[in-house]
Amino acid sequence: MRRSHHRDGGGPHPPRLRPPAHRVSPRAIAHWAIEYLLVWGLAFGLALGVAAWLGDSGWDALPGWLTGRVGLLPYIVGIAGLLMVTVAPVWRYRVHRWEVSADVVYTRTGWFSREWLLVPVGRIQTVDSKQGWIERLLGLATIEVNTASHTGSSEVSGLPVDVATRLAEDLAHRAHDLRDDAT
Amino acid sequence: MSLRLHPLTFIVGAVRELAALLAAGATGLLVGGMSTAFYFTLAGLAFGLVFHVANWVTFTYVLHNDRIELRRALVGRSVKSIPRDRIRGVDISASLPHRLLGLAIVHIDAGADGGEGELNAVSRHEAERLRRVLLTRDLPAPPQRVLGRMRRRWYVYAPLSGAYLLTPFALAGSLLGTVYNLGDDLGLITRERVANVGHDVVGLPTALVLALIIVMLVAMPVMSVIVFTLFNWDFTVRERDGSIVAERGLVTRRSVSLERRRLRGVELTDNPFERMAGVTRLGALITGLGDAAHRGRLLPAAPRPAAESLASRVVGAIPGPLKPHPEAARSRRVIRAVAPPAGVAVLAVLAGQPWVAYVCGALAVLAVPLGLDRYRQLGHATDGERLSVRSGALRRRQVVVEHSAIVGWRIRRTLFQRRLGLATLFAAVGAGEGGYSATDMSEPDAIALAAAITPAWLTPFLEPPKQERT
Repeated sequence: MRRSHHRDGGGPHPPRLRPPAHRVSPRAIAHWAIEYLLVWGLAFGLALGVAAWLGDSGWDALPGWLTGRVGLLPYIVGIAGLLMVTVAPVWRYRVHRWEVSADVVYTRTGWFSREWLLVPVGRIQTVDSKQGWIERLLGLATIEVNTASHTGSSEVSGLPVDVATRLAEDLAHRAHDLRDDAT
Repeated sequence: MSLRLHPLTFIVGAVRELAALLAAGATGLLVGGMSTAFYFTLAGLAFGLVFHVANWVTFTYVLHNDRIELRRALVGRSVKSIPRDRIRGVDISASLPHRLLGLAIVHIDAGADGGEGELNAVSRHEAERLRRVLLTRDLPAPPQRVLGRMRRRWYVYAPLSGAYLLTPFALAGSLLGTVYNLGDDLGLITRERVANVGHDVVGLPTALVLALIIVMLVAMPVMSVIVFTLFNWDFTVRERDGSIVAERGLVTRRSVSLERRRLRGVELTDNPFERMAGVTRLGALITGLGDAAHRGRLLPAAPRPAAESLASRVVGAIPGPLKPHPEAARSRRVIRAVAPPAGVAVLAVLAGQPWVAYVCGALAVLAVPLGLDRYRQLGHATDGERLSVRSGALRRRQVVVEHSAIVGWRIRRTLFQRRLGLATLFAAVGAGEGGYSATDMSEPDAIALAAAITPAWLTPFLEPPKQERT
């Protein structure tokens, strides 16, 4: 490997990011599961409808290879949905973490594709805290940290409401105090 | 002191309508003689003139110490107030009639929160004064300095970029459309005539058709150069009052001011044809600039050394040489290029569609060199003040951003990247596209690069050195 000639390296050992300190609330698993269930349930229903309609209509405009196989569609959607609902929420819970140090908001999100995001408090423009209806039922909230750049804006979902509210207020205050030319 | 637009303004407006009305009036005369249509035209002309005069009388602008106010009192009263510290750019443009009368349109851009205003039109002198006053903020006018200028020879690079290559077709299309509409209005077009023309076209000798095609093929690059030259004639980049001013255009002269303190970096873009000719395009990354692709342009086509030297005068030297990304990134680039057409090909085979499968298979084979080239173009470098990243093959782009412009880091690792030990590092910048990525760096390199540029942000989150991982 080319690690030996790190001109700009942090030290003799390859630098690694440690995970952020805090996990999100375990109730977030339920939240994500419900979300996936609703979306994939709808997709499954649509797939059933399309398969039934195309199977019965005997429509000539469609090529034969499609009408013969359209019955498979609900199965494919159903299996994909089942996997998403059972696997993705737990996987996401294990990945999602957040931490706010003195001047940086550090988050890790995603599941299949993971993203580590570092946003200095001084460059934050707005901090939003929001709750969807599922989140309201579960007592959760999402925090959105916005900077001048979309790439540099992060979202932490699945926080307990009181933590989210406190964090949003705290960040907004500090962003106001520390704010430099935040673009 | 409240000011009016230049009195000649309504002449420009009226002349434009006059031309349109004359055309309509002439048609009316042709069709119906000295009929109602003619009087309608006259009435329209008179109304237009009155409207323009009234507009001119009721529109005023006032320059205050902290803002500029545009007052309109024609129907309802409206006052648009633009705070001067929000003004991000003052563009001056002039169409042909404006230039003949020594007028110019001033366009004030104040970003999303301040809106924008237009003064259509004032004298050239007043336009220059407004720009100076609105952009200087209490500084005496410092001397201006030419940073870069297009050379005559560079205009022939236009076809390489694909710019305006389709102009002949657009011209032919609009010409045909006009002829058809005019003929239709005059009742000259009937079904039989259209059918006859169709038969004539089909019956044309092959040689003539070939000749037409050749003429079109020759016209494409020639017209491209002509139109490109019209738009970019005497492209000059100057430095003035803490702004970078790009001026261009032959018929309509257009100048765009980019504030230095909003400049975050530059980008150099080219495609494979331009790369072969050693040509590149230079653009500026400006915070809060609308239509940045056109307005942020610093050189529309120039030999690479010229573009690089202008870039170094605008943001500073381009860091280099770029460090290549690890070997593992190559297979990833190739797979990502080949997978979509190959996937469609497999589906097509399953569905029994051989022709689709052949085409997609051929595309998949062609995608291999594309993926390899994408890998070759990947690179990153920093010189302690600026970060440079490069990616893309069909549209290669090298971005140079100042370290101080970076507002955050995003590191992305998909499952496949994690298995290959790769990571994509995004530098979030509040200008241009909002973020620029160094794709598929080795993971320790990505973190080391971010840590080297902003040590204070990363150090608290680095793992303590417990054991040497090999």
